[in-house]
Amino acid sequence: MAKDFFMIAPDHPSFYLFLLFGTVAVITALNVIFQKNPVVSAVSLVFTFFSLAGIYAIMGAFFIATMQVLVYAGAIMVLVVFVIMLLSQRAETLSKFWDNPLKVLALSVFGMLFFFTLFSALQWGVPKQNPETKGYTVSELQTQYQYPINGGTSVTAEGNVAAVGAATYLDYVLPFELLSILLLVAVVGAVILAKRRLTTESTKDSTL
Amino acid sequence: MNALISGIPSVYFLALAGILFSIGLVGVLIRRNAVIIFMSVELILNAVNLVFVTFSKTLLNVSGEVIVFFVMAIAACEAAIGLALVIAIFRQNKSSNVDELQSLKW
Repeated sequence: MAKDFFMIAPDHPSFYLFLLFGTVAVITALNVIFQKNPVVSAVSLVFTFFSLAGIYAIMGAFFIATMQVLVYAGAIMVLVVFVIMLLSQRAETLSKFWDNPLKVLALSVFGMLFFFTLFSALQWGVPKQNPETKGYTVSELQTQYQYPINGGTSVTAEGNVAAVGAATYLDYVLPFELLSILLLVAVVGAVILAKRRLTTESTKDSTL
Repeated sequence: MNALISGIPSVYFLALAGILFSIGLVGVLIRRNAVIIFMSVELILNAVNLVFVTFSKTLLNVSGEVIVFFVMAIAACEAAIGLALVIAIFRQNKSSNVDELQSLKW
């Protein structure tokens, strides 16, 4: 077990990508919880999400990598930063990071290199090479998934995205629909939470 | 377990997920700012997603990736509701510090 754990595969280029993305993910995750300024935490969390997207890419889970960038690094982080802006910041938590141009330059260079590497990982990420199957048969091209339907006919899904989509809409239709209801409830709940205060304020004003 | 994913042992991915989960847990426990606690919860969810994708690739079963998609959608719901709650509490108490919230205390 220990030998397996320390087995390193440095001949494979994906391993270096994994090392890079894993290191960045851990360092930025530590940065998230140990920074005083919530804005710096949020930016670190964006980097964590992007490095996890890179890790999904080198695993061959391209659909998840795309969703990671769109949903987590995009939508959820926009919400978080929006809320941080609405909360009043105390002066002592604001960082002096942007006062030092050398640090800003270093961060910019690191960011450019990081996103270049992320792009190449999405481009060159190697899916798992294994003909063994469980529920899905993988063709020799490693990109085709035969999705069986009850009657015996089957849907051929080419690529990771198509396979995940086929599984979502054939196997998991009910959870998918329930999820849409849950999203609707969340939206309505958020609106009610935002609205209640306004209505009480207006009634208070009218009584005064 | 010695299954390789793209030439990398799957144990590495699981170890990374464990580290990220622990970091998120520590963040939830030690921080008092509600928004940072929220971000730590997001870290925990991401660690779990990584475990799902790892086993999905190890067992060659696409269902794990579908579940990661569901987890992401539920995290989006959680973000909408949770952050609306943070804003509502901040309006009420002028603070997003969870130590100062005592309205449910009796």
